[in-house]
Amino acid sequence: MGSRTFGLFFALSAFLALGAKELYGQAKIISLAATSPADLSLVITSGAIQTIAGVTDNAVNNFPSPVVLQTTWSVNPGQTNTVNLVAYFLVPAQALVGATTQIPSSRVLARMSTGLPTAFTPITQNAFAGVGTAGGSLRLYSVNIGGSNKNSTRTDNLDLQLNLVGFPTLPAGSYAGVLNLRVITQ
Amino acid sequence: MHALLKSALVGTAALVLVGSSTASAQVGLTSNVATVALTATKAATLTVSTNVATATLANITDNSTANQFTPVSLTTDWNLNAGSSVRMIGWFATPAQALVNGTDLIPSSKVEGRVGATAFAAFTNGAVGGVGVAGGSLQLFSQAVAAGSYFGTRTDQLDLRLNLTGTTTMAGNYTGTLNLQAIVQ
Repeated sequence: MGSRTFGLFFALSAFLALGAKELYGQAKIISLAATSPADLSLVITSGAIQTIAGVTDNAVNNFPSPVVLQTTWSVNPGQTNTVNLVAYFLVPAQALVGATTQIPSSRVLARMSTGLPTAFTPITQNAFAGVGTAGGSLRLYSVNIGGSNKNSTRTDNLDLQLNLVGFPTLPAGSYAGVLNLRVITQ
Repeated sequence: MHALLKSALVGTAALVLVGSSTASAQVGLTSNVATVALTATKAATLTVSTNVATATLANITDNSTANQFTPVSLTTDWNLNAGSSVRMIGWFATPAQALVNGTDLIPSSKVEGRVGATAFAAFTNGAVGGVGVAGGSLQLFSQAVAAGSYFGTRTDQLDLRLNLTGTTTMAGNYTGTLNLQAIVQ
C-alpha cells in the first residue's frame, strides 16, 4: 500500500470524524483494500528432455541442447528486492540413477551465460531461501527488482554436462534423473 | 469527537496492517516447479585384446603333437546389461587353409587350442551365435555372467599347437591367421 493511499484513507477518516458537525451521528469506518497478487511463473520452452545416447567414461559428456527457460513476474518493487532461479536435485547423491550405480549431483554441471554460473559449475550448492536441497542446488540467476522491471519476462539458456572425469567406469545401462527448477523472490 | 478521531486512526492503522501483510507475502514467493528429465545411457561393451600379435613355432616336428606355438595372453573385458554368458571363439576364415605355405596347406583340424588347464581341441566346430565358420571354430571358454557380474574382466593364457600326428609337412614357412572374438549369449 503506497503513502498516497494511506494519506487518502487518513484524510477521509479525519473528514468523517471532524467535518460533519451538523450531521452528527455514528460514523462508520469502512476500510478498503484491493490487492493485485504478485505473479511468478517459470516455463521451459524447449529442452525439457535431455538425453545422452552414448556416455563416455572418464570424459565430459555434454547434454545435447540447451534448456530454454522463460521466467515471467509481476511483483511490487517496494516489497521484492530480487527474483532468483534455483536448480536442484531432490537427492544430491542420486542425481541420475542406474540399476546398480548412482551419479551424484557433483557430476552434473550447469552453465547459464546470462546468469550467475557463466562457466560450468557442479550442482552442489545449498538451498537458496528455502528452495533446493543441501549440497544439490545451484542458483542460476538473481535479478534486482525496481520500477522499470517490476513486470517483466526473461529468457535464458541452461547448458548441462555430465562430468565423468575420474569417476569409476559406469556399468552399462540407462541412468535417469530429474532436475528441478524454481523461481523465488527475496 | 475524540472517539471518532480514534476510530479513524484505528481504521487507518488497519489499512496499514493489511498493506504490511501483503508486503510480507511477496518475500519468498515461489513459482511453479519446472523439471528437466535427464537420461544418460552407457552402451554395453565387449572387448578382446592380446599381448602379442604373432605366435610362432620355430621348428615343426612331423608326426608329433610337440609343435606348440609361443603362448598368447588373452584379455577379455565386458560391461553388459543383459546376457547369461560371455564366450570366446577362435576361428579360421578358411578351415581347409588354416596355415599356408604356397600350395602346401595345414587345415584347421590339425590346429589345436586350449585355455588354462583344459585339453587341447581342434578348430573344427561350428560357429557360435554367428561367430566363427562352420568346421573351423573352437569355443575357448564360456564365462557365466549375471546382474552381479555384468561388469568384469578375465585374462587367459591361450595355448596353440599343431597336431601333426600321421602327417608329414613340406619344408617351409606356414603362416595363417587365427581370429578371436567374444560373444554374449
